[in-house]
Amino acid sequence: MEQIRRSPLIGEDEAFVRMSLVERLQHGAVLVVFVLLILTGLPLLLHRLKIFKWVFSPEKSFYIRGLIHRAAAVGLIAAAVWHAASTAFTSRGRRNLKDMRPRVKDVRDAVQSLGFNLGFSRYLHRHGLGKNFFERHPFWLFKTAPLFERYSFIEKFEYWALVWGTMIMILSGFFMWRVDLSLRLFPLWVHNIFILVHGYEAVLALLAILTWHMYNVHLNPEDFPMSKVWLNGKMTGRELRLRHPLEYRRIHEGRLSRKRAETRAGEALAGRQARSRPKKSQKRP
Amino acid sequence: MSVDGRTLESSVHGQAGLGCIDCHADLKGVKDFPHAEKLKRVDCALCHAKPAQDLKVSIHSPDRPGAPVAVATCADCHGTHDIRAKNDPDSRVFALNLPRTCEKCHGERVVGDRGAEFIKNYETSVHFRALGKAGLTRSADCSDCHGSHLIRNVHDAASQVSRGRIIQTCGRCHARIERDYLEGVHGRDYVRGGMDVPVCTDCHSEHAILSPRDARSTVYATNVAGVCSHCHDDEVLSKQYGFRTSRLKTFSSSFHGVASKFGEARVANCASCHGFHGIRPSSDPRSPINAANLARTCGKCHAGAGRNFTRGKIHVVSAEESNPAANVIRVFYILLIVVVISVSLLFIAADLWGRLRERWNR
Repeated sequence: MEQIRRSPLIGEDEAFVRMSLVERLQHGAVLVVFVLLILTGLPLLLHRLKIFKWVFSPEKSFYIRGLIHRAAAVGLIAAAVWHAASTAFTSRGRRNLKDMRPRVKDVRDAVQSLGFNLGFSRYLHRHGLGKNFFERHPFWLFKTAPLFERYSFIEKFEYWALVWGTMIMILSGFFMWRVDLSLRLFPLWVHNIFILVHGYEAVLALLAILTWHMYNVHLNPEDFPMSKVWLNGKMTGRELRLRHPLEYRRIHEGRLSRKRAETRAGEALAGRQARSRPKKSQKRP
Repeated sequence: MSVDGRTLESSVHGQAGLGCIDCHADLKGVKDFPHAEKLKRVDCALCHAKPAQDLKVSIHSPDRPGAPVAVATCADCHGTHDIRAKNDPDSRVFALNLPRTCEKCHGERVVGDRGAEFIKNYETSVHFRALGKAGLTRSADCSDCHGSHLIRNVHDAASQVSRGRIIQTCGRCHARIERDYLEGVHGRDYVRGGMDVPVCTDCHSEHAILSPRDARSTVYATNVAGVCSHCHDDEVLSKQYGFRTSRLKTFSSSFHGVASKFGEARVANCASCHGFHGIRPSSDPRSPINAANLARTCGKCHAGAGRNFTRGKIHVVSAEESNPAANVIRVFYILLIVVVISVSLLFIAADLWGRLRERWNR
């Protein structure tokens, strides 16, 4: 679905940095600690499964599970702090945050994307149903797929879900780690809520990763078996045009205006030179 | 049969100056030696009236209705000419030797309805270890629990090891524990004749009693919950005695329970909070789970535990029973998970459908 024309100023194979090295390292760190946290945390929720009796049969294995879980938690906190710092203190980070801000357009995009894929409105329209409504509100016809900016609603949703989830997990997990501190500050029933929330949020995070993330960067037919952006950080001009057309257009317009400015500057320079050259030649002899 | 004079001389009877005819009355007046091979059975009761009387009503008595063919006689345990005093290390009934003496019959031939293994298990016990390894003669041998001459069937209410008397039997050595037990809820019901209350052997097992620090023990930290829940997860008993069930279930789903199940011995088990021999109801000011004592009880592991430990519930069965805030959060999260994942799957399905249609149209 090509909705934006090719720009003569952007090469189809031109490489754009989608994820900087720092961003890829942060993603890698979260990937590793997330897997560790799930592997060492899930047995506590699924303790009724017989397999865990076998997994934890070696002596001290349950204790080691706890050590790994807390070490990975420290890793997650470190990654979160690193990400917060790089977002706040680098210009690229600040631009990322700006591009990541949720907008009304994202809700529209989500609805449009769903409606376009289902194609139900078009089906109704084809059969002459709701003609007046669709004439007055063409958006609800979902004639085209939404055009995405640098971050689509899919990516924004996942990013903010991760931010929200990480904060919940770090907060509740910290007080589960330091029971003494928790109970010095809160009554037992609040501490019980930390335990409850930690478990449910973990399930939510795991299921979200297994559905949303798995499909959108691995299992969808376009990227299967996986998008390589998290490894090389690159996206080609063609991919940008197809997946993030509004960003593509922005880059095109930026280059176009820069080119025009250059041409104008070049013409101006040429004009100045043309005027000044005779003077120089006069002076020299 | 020939009898060495020295055997008799070194026996307890020989040392007391007894001669052959004191026991073998039928040799009195016999001048023609060697005498007849077969002599009359010696009647020990002539001197040992009390033990003989006891033996007559014991499980070893041949007069008992339904008695087996072979029963133990004086000689089976004490020997014959070489009988020695009980405190003589060479005696068959000396503490260190008694298990072997009893096992002559109860090792294989006479094993009861719980089998030879059940009896043999004694050799793995802490009692036998003390006896066999350290030679601690005070440690329980067979007769300390079962009695000696007056051994009765365990189901006989008069038996030393019957449910009604086992507490006093163990208490003969473990006096302090007996006192603690009798002051606790279990003990108080026991004194009133309650037959369902746990007695020593219900938690510690019978022959195979091990140290609580031994991982194979029934009362090892990670096994305690299983032992208590025998009764405390029992619907019938709970109705009869008015206690609440699902104690194990609610413990198992807590971190303490899960960690304990996976072999972590340092986490709290039932006994860590409730005590063991002298368990008291939470309403008792001396109970470790009385609200006034909770901070100290939890503080055993969670240093600095304060009043906050009492502001909330442990062993929560249902959401309604827990605090309302937790209930709201639980419902919120379940809804959130269901909605987020359903919407997520809906988008995925729509995307796949869209791609498929695009392929068809092309």
